[in-house]
Amino acid sequence: MIDDEMLVAQFKSGSQKAFDELMKRYERRIFGYLLRSVRNYEDAEELTLEVFFKAYRALGTWEPKAKFSTWLYTIASNLSIDFHRAKSRQPVYMLEDEDVIEKRLIATDISSNPEKNLEDKERGRIIREAVDELSAKQKSVFMLARYEGMQIKEVAETLGMAEGTVKIHLHRAIKKLQTLLRPLWENNEI
Amino acid sequence: MQKCKTSEARVIDYVYGELDQSQSSAFEQHLATCSKCTRKVYSYSHVLHLVDDAESEFLPVALAPRNLEAKLYKRLADAPPEKNSILSRLSNYFSNLLLVLHEQKVASICIFSIAAIAVAFFVGNPFRPTTLDINRINSADARIEQYRHNDIQRNLEDVLRKKHLRHSDSWDTVSQLNRVKDQAQGTDWANIAKNQLKRVHSEF
Repeated sequence: MIDDEMLVAQFKSGSQKAFDELMKRYERRIFGYLLRSVRNYEDAEELTLEVFFKAYRALGTWEPKAKFSTWLYTIASNLSIDFHRAKSRQPVYMLEDEDVIEKRLIATDISSNPEKNLEDKERGRIIREAVDELSAKQKSVFMLARYEGMQIKEVAETLGMAEGTVKIHLHRAIKKLQTLLRPLWENNEI
Repeated sequence: MQKCKTSEARVIDYVYGELDQSQSSAFEQHLATCSKCTRKVYSYSHVLHLVDDAESEFLPVALAPRNLEAKLYKRLADAPPEKNSILSRLSNYFSNLLLVLHEQKVASICIFSIAAIAVAFFVGNPFRPTTLDINRINSADARIEQYRHNDIQRNLEDVLRKKHLRHSDSWDTVSQLNRVKDQAQGTDWANIAKNQLKRVHSEF
């Protein structure tokens, strides 16, 4: 199989098919990463399109300092962070503050309605909501390390952070998840 | 019982598989004797398993976006041409200019001439000798020379004005004219002073 760097070189020489091949290789992974990040099929699809659009336009002048896949994930991560930032700026009519929501998330749903919350689907939703409670950077680090099979070093390259910073984000992410989810198993609900 | 000093970060690194073989083995030996760390390892591992389950339930198989290829090429076709940065545009401009200059020698000479004239017109001739200091020095010398001439002229006029008043004392006039003649050496005033001296002597 031709490696990515060779396909990039072919694309730079004018081969359109080389880019199609690169897209085929990474569209599922990038889409999956973005879908987990934004939790919405249409938004993830739009962002995936944007990732490959940007990659297509920039690939001609791209200098391979890292792997092609790392570069693609960098574009995806930046778009994802921008997406969450833009979303957080939209006016939201909240009746409760974040602490109240967090308490409801970790206590009310489980404790007050145990029967309902024992359903797998509901439990999964609660856990994913806990993941979505992570900050944008914590979530990016966690997702790349956990579901994209990246080592700390590669995550650091993708997000443009020092390896130590990646570790800090990862540790905070796991600790926060533990804090949010501990009541679930302490109550023997899961 | 000894208090465990293992950091939280160490426990998470272990759970996350970030420790190397020897570090991992050493930590496992520590776990055999430390219930606190064992509880932490269980807790973090459990969190990760829960999240893994929830995420795999959310996305059980790797999905592909619909018609991505067609959408991408449509988007690329619809997109306005890419705007280059100012630096790259300048770089392109100069490289094109150099190419033209290289290919067309006549055109290059004309362009260079026009550019040189434009520079000379708007900025001033950059190849002009720097004569400013010399001018300043010359003008200073000329001014000093002018003062000397004025002084000679004033002294000579003074002699001639007073000569008529000093008919009785022509020696005074002669000595004054001699001073002016010495002062005016190398100038036309010296001849005038000499002629006046002759006239005074002839009048004696």
